[in-house]
Amino acid sequence: MHAENDQTVKTMTGRERVLAALCNKPTDCTPVCNPTSVATVELMDLVDAPFPQANREPELMARLAATSYTELGFDTIMPVFTIIQESSALGCKIQWEQKDNWPTVKMREPIWEDVDDITIPKDFLTHPDTQCVLEAIKILKKEYGDEVAVIGKTMGPWSLGYHCFGVEPFLLLSLDDPGKTKLALDRMKEATVEFGIAQIEAGADALTLPDHATGDLVSGEYYKRYLRDLHIEFVERIPIPLILHICGRTVDRMEYIAQTGMAAFHFDSKNEPQESMDIIQERIALVGNINNPETLFAKDPEDVNAEVLKNLEAGVPLIGPECAIPLQTTIENLQEIPKAVKEWHRKTNMSTR
Amino acid sequence: MTSIVNIGRRVELVPIDTHFKDITIGLYRQQVNDTAVYRVHTYSRLDGVARRIQEVMQSMCILGGMQETSDGLLCFPCGEKHEAACRRVFLEACKHASGAPVEPRPLHILDKKSQLTISVESVGNGIYKVSSNGEGRSAARRITAIAAGLKKLGEMNTDPENSDDRIAFSCGHSHDALVGLLLVRAPNVRVILRQEEATASRGVLTAPSQQT
Repeated sequence: MHAENDQTVKTMTGRERVLAALCNKPTDCTPVCNPTSVATVELMDLVDAPFPQANREPELMARLAATSYTELGFDTIMPVFTIIQESSALGCKIQWEQKDNWPTVKMREPIWEDVDDITIPKDFLTHPDTQCVLEAIKILKKEYGDEVAVIGKTMGPWSLGYHCFGVEPFLLLSLDDPGKTKLALDRMKEATVEFGIAQIEAGADALTLPDHATGDLVSGEYYKRYLRDLHIEFVERIPIPLILHICGRTVDRMEYIAQTGMAAFHFDSKNEPQESMDIIQERIALVGNINNPETLFAKDPEDVNAEVLKNLEAGVPLIGPECAIPLQTTIENLQEIPKAVKEWHRKTNMSTR
Repeated sequence: MTSIVNIGRRVELVPIDTHFKDITIGLYRQQVNDTAVYRVHTYSRLDGVARRIQEVMQSMCILGGMQETSDGLLCFPCGEKHEAACRRVFLEACKHASGAPVEPRPLHILDKKSQLTISVESVGNGIYKVSSNGEGRSAARRITAIAAGLKKLGEMNTDPENSDDRIAFSCGHSHDALVGLLLVRAPNVRVILRQEEATASRGVLTAPSQQT
């Protein structure tokens, strides 16, 4: 929600702005938040930190992540570009790809077939691919911690289920044996909590928690049955603001998401900002939802500007891309997001709330 | 704070230049007075990048008939943007390794589908006529198809006489080198479109449920 600037909200740093918005408090200006990734191939060149190395070497990871603030002007830095760091540490085979593509888990070669196979390796937090994240967060906290919010990422058990069992086997398990599915989620959730807490200790100000119960494959009722209570538990056990991320059309589960106590929900452009705000009703914050594949990737700054305004007019409290942006996105489109937010506040003379 | 300057609107990108340290090279369009100009740019600061960018620009001049301005930018002699065509020139130029010879393409090709030699000839005022060394319906079909391919790749117009074998640049100027370059791809534009789609989808993160 936005309110006329009454001078009671002092000028904030990006970090203060983001954390206030995540706690449903007033801010001097709507924060520009990147809960996933704004890495691009051009930014990789700029700081000489290309994929895949920037996903595996902490100095490169931190250097690339920092461009979100230093080059784009966002209020956040998010070094965990991928969704596979902990899956790698769990033992999944990874296709690391090249500079211009995302690493992926080889889900056709699942590591677990049954619930009893689930084990969190003893070296889970010391594995190079989880350590890389922890070290990068430490570097960023030291260098930028007073200025911007450093956001980490810990994958939820539904996403880990896809990675470790394979998408189809895991979905079939959820249909055939709800009891076993809940047991599987219960065991995998420990990885989510362990990695999340380790990132807090490393210096993360908030955590994105992607749990891909996406609109295309999983219904709102499924979310309620399998994940709502788990997500409530994460809020209780991971003591910093959590930003739940689920792709796709999710209005059918936003009511349940709002009940979890998550600090925010990072929502997809398949959901209209106003309809989403109407459901959430300020119980939690929303982050989003500038479209990636069409607007940020393929259109012009004017189109980005229009989507930013649509979110601001709806009262979305944190503005950012809907998901990890395509690696070939233009820098000028990304820079347009904070620019559009600042212009809107200047024109409307609004602070938030 | 930012070290990025406004260099125009990016119109094409080569995410990995396999010929030079896997750098990313972009083509940016600017408008200077009434002239559309292009900047070839990389954000990489690795040693030797300036030379590589210069090589790409030189290749664009040879392959597309472009010329370098005093500001180190590129433009077509007519001053028009011809953006789609320029993008193809850029992509082709980036395929050339450093030091490899670059020559303008001839205004004729062997059409693999018909085994005919297809020629393109400038007839003035930016109009080009497509012809072949064969006759009959098959030859006529290929001429029409290739003229349509050139029209699409070069954002050209149908000739005012509305003939199937003539296409024209809106600027009214000849662009022989450019037409020679586009002619190579004109027989199979669908391949180009498929390549563009594949390029566009690469680097887009999909949810695990969409991955294989």
